Amino acid sequence: MAEDRYDETCSEASSACSQIGANNCNHFFHRLCCSAPSWNWNTTTTTTVTPPPPPGRRIFHRDVEKEAFQYASSSHCLSSYYSVFVVRLAIMVMLAILIGLLTILTWHFTKIYTTKSLQTLAYDLRYELLQRPILRMWNILNSTAEITTAQVKLSQYVIRRYSNPANQAEQVELYEAMRAITWALFSSKKALNSITINYKNGFVQAFHRDLKDNNTSYIYSDLVNYSMVASNSNEMNFISAHQSWDDKAIHGNKSAIWYREPLDPVTGDKIGKAMQIAPEDLINIAGLSQVPDGVASWHVAVSKFTDSPLLSAALPVWDSSNKSIMAVVGVTTALYSVGQLMKELVEMHSGHMYLTSQEGYLLATSTNAPLLTNSTKSPRLKMAVDCENEVIKLGAEWLQRAYGNHSPPSHEVHVENAKLGHQQYYIDSFFLNLKRLPLVGVIIIPRNHELRTPMAAVIGLLDILISDDCLTNEQYSTVTQIRKCSTALLRLLNNILDLSKVESGKLVLEEAEFDLGRELEGLVDMFSVQCINHNVETVLDLSDEMPKVVRGDSARVVQIFANLINNSIKFTPSGHIILRGWCEYPNSCNSSPIFPLEQKKSRCIQKSREKQNANNVKRTTKRDNKVILWFEVDDTGCGIDPSKWDSVFESFEQADPSTTRLHGGTGLGLCIVRNLVNKMGGEIKVVRKEGQGTLMRLCLTLSTPIDVTEQHCALDLTDNSLVVLLALHGNMSRLITSKWLQKNGVCTIEASEWNGLTQVLRDLFHSRSPVHNNDNFDAHYPATEGLKSKLLNILDMKNPVFIIVVDIGLLDLSTDIWKEQLNFLHRYFGRARFVWMLNHDTSNNIKMEIRRKGNVLMVNKPLYKAKMVHILEAVMKERNLELQKRNNMIGSRAAAKEGELYEFLEIDSTHFDVGSSDDSDTSETVGSNPVSVNGDKQLELVTRSPPSSTYKINNSLVGLTNEHLEDNNNARKEESCQSSPSSSNHAIEEIEPKSLSTKESSQGEDSERGETHRAAGPNNNAVNGKNSLEGLRILLAEDTPVLQRVATIMLEKMGASVVAVGDGQQAVDALHCMLGVEDCRRDSLQKDRNTRSQTEILTSPYDLILMDCQMPKMDGYEATKAIRKSEVGTGLHIPIVALTAHAMSCDEAKCLEVGMDAYLTKPIDFKQMVSTILSLTKRTTS
Amino acid sequence: MDVVTQMQRQLLQYTSSLFKEGFLDDQFNQLQQLQDESNPEFVVEVVTLFFEDAERLLNELSKSLEQESIHFRRVDAHVHQLKGSSSSIGAQRVQRVCIAFRNFCEQQNVEGCLKSLQEIKQEYSLVKTKLETLFKMEKQLFAAGGSSVSR
Repeated sequence: MAEDRYDETCSEASSACSQIGANNCNHFFHRLCCSAPSWNWNTTTTTTVTPPPPPGRRIFHRDVEKEAFQYASSSHCLSSYYSVFVVRLAIMVMLAILIGLLTILTWHFTKIYTTKSLQTLAYDLRYELLQRPILRMWNILNSTAEITTAQVKLSQYVIRRYSNPANQAEQVELYEAMRAITWALFSSKKALNSITINYKNGFVQAFHRDLKDNNTSYIYSDLVNYSMVASNSNEMNFISAHQSWDDKAIHGNKSAIWYREPLDPVTGDKIGKAMQIAPEDLINIAGLSQVPDGVASWHVAVSKFTDSPLLSAALPVWDSSNKSIMAVVGVTTALYSVGQLMKELVEMHSGHMYLTSQEGYLLATSTNAPLLTNSTKSPRLKMAVDCENEVIKLGAEWLQRAYGNHSPPSHEVHVENAKLGHQQYYIDSFFLNLKRLPLVGVIIIPRNHELRTPMAAVIGLLDILISDDCLTNEQYSTVTQIRKCSTALLRLLNNILDLSKVESGKLVLEEAEFDLGRELEGLVDMFSVQCINHNVETVLDLSDEMPKVVRGDSARVVQIFANLINNSIKFTPSGHIILRGWCEYPNSCNSSPIFPLEQKKSRCIQKSREKQNANNVKRTTKRDNKVILWFEVDDTGCGIDPSKWDSVFESFEQADPSTTRLHGGTGLGLCIVRNLVNKMGGEIKVVRKEGQGTLMRLCLTLSTPIDVTEQHCALDLTDNSLVVLLALHGNMSRLITSKWLQKNGVCTIEASEWNGLTQVLRDLFHSRSPVHNNDNFDAHYPATEGLKSKLLNILDMKNPVFIIVVDIGLLDLSTDIWKEQLNFLHRYFGRARFVWMLNHDTSNNIKMEIRRKGNVLMVNKPLYKAKMVHILEAVMKERNLELQKRNNMIGSRAAAKEGELYEFLEIDSTHFDVGSSDDSDTSETVGSNPVSVNGDKQLELVTRSPPSSTYKINNSLVGLTNEHLEDNNNARKEESCQSSPSSSNHAIEEIEPKSLSTKESSQGEDSERGETHRAAGPNNNAVNGKNSLEGLRILLAEDTPVLQRVATIMLEKMGASVVAVGDGQQAVDALHCMLGVEDCRRDSLQKDRNTRSQTEILTSPYDLILMDCQMPKMDGYEATKAIRKSEVGTGLHIPIVALTAHAMSCDEAKCLEVGMDAYLTKPIDFKQMVSTILSLTKRTTS
Repeated sequence: MDVVTQMQRQLLQYTSSLFKEGFLDDQFNQLQQLQDESNPEFVVEVVTLFFEDAERLLNELSKSLEQESIHFRRVDAHVHQLKGSSSSIGAQRVQRVCIAFRNFCEQQNVEGCLKSLQEIKQEYSLVKTKLETLFKMEKQLFAAGGSSVSR
């Protein structure tokens, strides 16, 4: 609305402007023209004609020039040149104004027009909706009228035939005939409630249908009492006839006795005895009073036999001379079918409808609320304002309040935002002006649904159309396009509705505990996928003090940041987007917040100011463990003009309107953000920042759970002498990670590109004292001095652990150079731990190659704290394990072997020899030299913390093997390289049951492979992609035969052997059977004391299970649970990969929850399956 | 023109038309890539498996939808299976209808289910004839001396 006003003033201003411009112009021209009067005409045209400029003007210019030339020598020369210039200037200004005006007007009208047409659409829909029940009502009226007229005509005919019944017999004959025709009519219209005929003499005949139990009955009054009297008084005049049968004569006449005779509803035959009925049980009988002026009448009646109001019509039957009324015919129809229709309509479109008489009595509603008051005496009609349905009641009250009893002259009301209760509604009422029975229809529709529902319907219909096969290709693409647009429109609608929801205060925030850090990490992960194309890095920088778990509405918090980051991404073509977060505990005011990185000074000043604001909050919320969380979204985009810093948060506002076309968006995102932030007790604003871009700062007040106090990462990094080399492309993430690591006592070195990395590597590993050959440093290394001292520090360290985080982006992937680069890095393999930062679109080819080099720590970008912590944990765990192993192997030949494997350069090998990760080697050592190793291990076992397995206490040998297996598993978890399958092949094949024929057939091969493996040693990883699963035994549980077959072939093609089963139960059995055999075996072995094969037996018969989630008998989840349960205490952990049809994250969660290790979505992607299996089985040792 | 090359071209055209009209998707390509000397009939085998499975499921579906009180969970499970197998041979139009079908199942919308079943049957018979034609063409080509897998 504000914009509308703005437009108006703007257009006024500009039109005024153009007026002034025109006047000025004229003025100039008058002053100028002394020789050419025709110019004046020209000027007037230019003021009215819009561009393109009329050709006349060009001539005019030329004229001026010519003339100016002619008078060049005169003293006028200068002034005329000046005037020409001014005129041209004036024309230009005018044109500019006109164009501007045109643009603004166009925009204005488009906007107005869209709003209007949307409103018209909505109005049409409501109108159509209400028209239908009104039409139904109209139909009922019509058919009732028809029946009544027919009945009257027939009665007239019959009565005239017996116009003067001479005796009772004739009279009876008359009544019999009347009964017959009335029944014929009555039975033909099932909707009729009753037909009554009230004769002049007071005799009444009536058919009545009880709609509740579908009983039909014939009602008549006692003939004997007054029939003869009536026939005697046949000559009575008109007036006396009137007096003799008014309504009282019927209801009040004590002498009249009424009978009800049950009838067969179809044939009309009498099926029971006539019973006398009490006067109060009588139905409505239309009497003379209802036709006072002798013409037809309508009214709404009630009866105790139905819940619905009855529409009743009455018509008189005239005698042949048309002078006296012989009888009155009454017909009543129930109105409930109108209500039924209304119910059906609102079911589809939501909302409420009702129909009232002019006085406001309810006739039909779209709800099940009763329409009649059930007073003790007799049911009565209800007013709409007394309706039991809340919405109808409120609506009726609202209408009454707004219009009182004087409804508007046209009787039509259209209100677009009536507030009933907490919600906004459309209210429309329509008037049906029947002469005797004026009706009012009202429709009340909640404002929200009315737009969303049709949109959803449109999309649904399009989906149906798309799945239709009769479309041509062009049609298909068009429809797909429409569908896309519709979804976009629906999103816009949802945004608008969201906004109105927040603004109207209807949004209720959820209060639940959630992991704030993880939510934000997920968000950044998601956005970094989008950013890859943009050359923008997304960085998450949360301070360590942030509480891990907070209480609040996680979805809305995420929505805030999603909108903000989305906004930043839209306007940031290159650079970075940083989401910073830190917190402030209200009860520790003086603990100055930790500012991540730059802008500390400026922020401090602002901060102290903001703190004062926050002070109020603090005092009140101290007890609730509230915490104020500060966030910043910092981008390097195009920035926002300071004058727009407030208005960007208004709805439909983008800092520069022209950006809409470029960047899209609804202009609602930031508005929603501000509303949500305010709702969470916070503030958001744009803050001045140094350099390019926008900095938005917001605070949220959230509570932390009281029981969870300080649960920050307890990882102690300081005394582990870790050295992290961050070779990352993105400046910001590198800087932030490095700062964080240094703060936690980890030494870091940074490199931003390949040359820098190689330089650092050389300095670190090749030279004992890098200080001496400092001329090697690249010129673009600014921190040469710092680096030097760092290197010196590192060299002073005892047993440093090097972690090299390498961005895949540092490699030259456009050519084949990356392979060389990988080989180069591989030279440092034994001395440092490599962690690869991958892009989401890094090809499997490269991943495979990296993995083949023995690198298994791979993380997707972006790098943030939590990921770094994981990396460090993994490395440290592995190092501890390796240290342990190394201790075990002191004196063995392992160390010597390693010396052969890696060309150690001039560096002291003991510093960097951390056992490398050549596990195949160590396991082989275990196999070939079991006694000594076992002995060592036994010692180890005693000194270690109490193990969970009971075997260890009972039997040292079994405990021993368990220990070994545990080690294996640990190694697996830490993604170290393990070749257990090949080393245990022999043993398993010995005990393999013959039923598993696939296994059997591959037996020979297996043993052979085992040999080659050992022979080939670490160089075996040069296998090409084709057989990368060679030697793996995979159990496939899948019920769909097609999928079973496809997956089997896929796996077999990669060299794996597959056993397929049809459901979860079979999978569990297949595994159990093997485990059972092992158990026996183990027992017997214990007796035999056969130490040789002991270590080899206790691995699982399969290397991996592929498990479909939905299967008959036992589904994948259950089966996994069962398998994991059976593994408890055995130290086994068979990798289970879920096969699921849904790509939803909740399924993933479920899979992981029951103990699966990974999941694949159907249809199976070949490459993804292979890489998943590989990453879980770790066969590719180096 | 050489008969074999002509046939080969026809086969190629037909295959690409199947992809273009959305009967098949990339999954079918993957199937073809899995076929080699050790499994020369792999595609035909799997597709035949799919036909059997689909017919069984369609029968089950018709039966369960005819019943008075419909066991929607069971219907859903059947449709799920059909979706799985159709997606793994790349019959994406069948798969798409399955998705709609499952939505109706969730809403317990009997009419929608019946309609979807009708659609699935239609899609299935369509894709079946198309694939059978494809195999016949391949066979003929093979008989004429060309290589069976045209890529």
